[in-house]
Amino acid sequence: MESLPVWAALLSSFLYLAGYRKIAPVYAGLACHGGAMAYRGLQIGRLPIIGPHDTLFFMSLSIAFFAVAITYKQTNRLRLLYPMLLLAVLFTGLSLAYPPHDSPLPPILKTFWFESHVALSFFSYALFGIAAVLGGLYLIRQDPQVEVLQYKAILVGYCFFSAAMIFGGIWAFYAWGTYWLWTPKELFTVILWLHYSLYLHARLRPAWAGKPAVLLGIFGFAIVMFTYLGVSLFMKSSHSF
Amino acid sequence: MKKIITAMLEFFISLRTAVWLLCGLIFFLFAGGFIMPAHEEFQALHTTPLFTWLGDNAPGVTWWLYGSLIVLSLVAANTLICSIEALIKKKSARAWLLVISPQIIHAGFLFILLAHLLSSYDSFQGMAMAREGEQLSLPGGITMAVDRIHTVMDPRGFIREWAAEVRCSGGGQPAAGGMIRPNEPLFHGGLGLYIKTVKVEPYPLALIQVSRDPGALYALIGGIFFLIGICTLLLLKIRRESPQD
Repeated sequence: MESLPVWAALLSSFLYLAGYRKIAPVYAGLACHGGAMAYRGLQIGRLPIIGPHDTLFFMSLSIAFFAVAITYKQTNRLRLLYPMLLLAVLFTGLSLAYPPHDSPLPPILKTFWFESHVALSFFSYALFGIAAVLGGLYLIRQDPQVEVLQYKAILVGYCFFSAAMIFGGIWAFYAWGTYWLWTPKELFTVILWLHYSLYLHARLRPAWAGKPAVLLGIFGFAIVMFTYLGVSLFMKSSHSF
Repeated sequence: MKKIITAMLEFFISLRTAVWLLCGLIFFLFAGGFIMPAHEEFQALHTTPLFTWLGDNAPGVTWWLYGSLIVLSLVAANTLICSIEALIKKKSARAWLLVISPQIIHAGFLFILLAHLLSSYDSFQGMAMAREGEQLSLPGGITMAVDRIHTVMDPRGFIREWAAEVRCSGGGQPAAGGMIRPNEPLFHGGLGLYIKTVKVEPYPLALIQVSRDPGALYALIGGIFFLIGICTLLLLKIRRESPQD
């Protein structure tokens, strides 16, 4: 039974891949993916959002969920949705490459502020990933509707990310006595937030609108990945894995 | 003189200025993101206010912070002037909420900057180990007594949970007391009292952290403003936005 979430993860990836022409397997994959996450949570008795295994899996589920939501009512839905689902499958694969973190949480992590901080962060990362995929699709198809969809994904992601930063600050104040810590993770998080602030401002300028802003939206996801995986794995920080 | 003021206002009102200032700020912070993990000096930043720390360290390590501070000052001026201009120019606009919500976000951002400014001048952090029954003398004439240390062990013999009963007096405040746990500090006379960890052998001992962060309240106000503004903007923009060409 311990390996059930792994098999459910593999099955959900297979169903996403099978959703090239029909939406039904995608919904089945999403249900399976969500079920795997819920089962893992019940197994360890907490929200599974600690360590690369669980966070990558949570991110993959968030990508699939927001991809289905954001493409709802779009014309040529599957053509937009499928590349996003490939991203979700990639992150599921990456999550399976890491061992799960099953030990009980230290007391400092047992708080609503921590759980909401992490969950909101990964919702925003997922939306920034979706925005990068949409940016790539815009560069290929030059469809203005896709550019607008990228903007909406970034705006919603920015909203989640801002909330995640504020909740993280509240948690840090209760845990460490300050809302701000001078570590590379915090610094790169601010860089990420400034980068998407730059995107939202630059897109209003005629000189940056269109392709330059779309490229900023794509590049943002590279900063997301470095902030999430690069800094956590390679730099000493309050968020090290 | 009038020409200079007009030119300066035009510079600060411009969205182009905001865009390039953000690019500059990202550059400095990006450089800092790689300098910081390579230098041990930054460890002291956890316990020393930024402006004191800057004075104690060589420019070879701190140049990106000076650069960031200069650009942030310009960003703050740009944000403030742009918001005032937007409110004056568009006060009769029909879509009033659409005009006001970015300015609420800007106000939140400025509060957060103010919070960092205050914390950079006058924050404090200290740590001490305390036995049961021991008294600690804290800044501002405050005395803290650690009455009892509680621990819960797991079946493998590791400490799973910990807490301490403490009492505070002095500092011109009525005496206060209670249980402190991880994520549940006690606040007294502007200080936060935190329990970081405990030891049970050879006798119960608690690592107590004392912090003062004068910017915390302003950061919270800024955060609330920011969230209200961004959520309002999101609700208004998500439906209105259509292809640009």
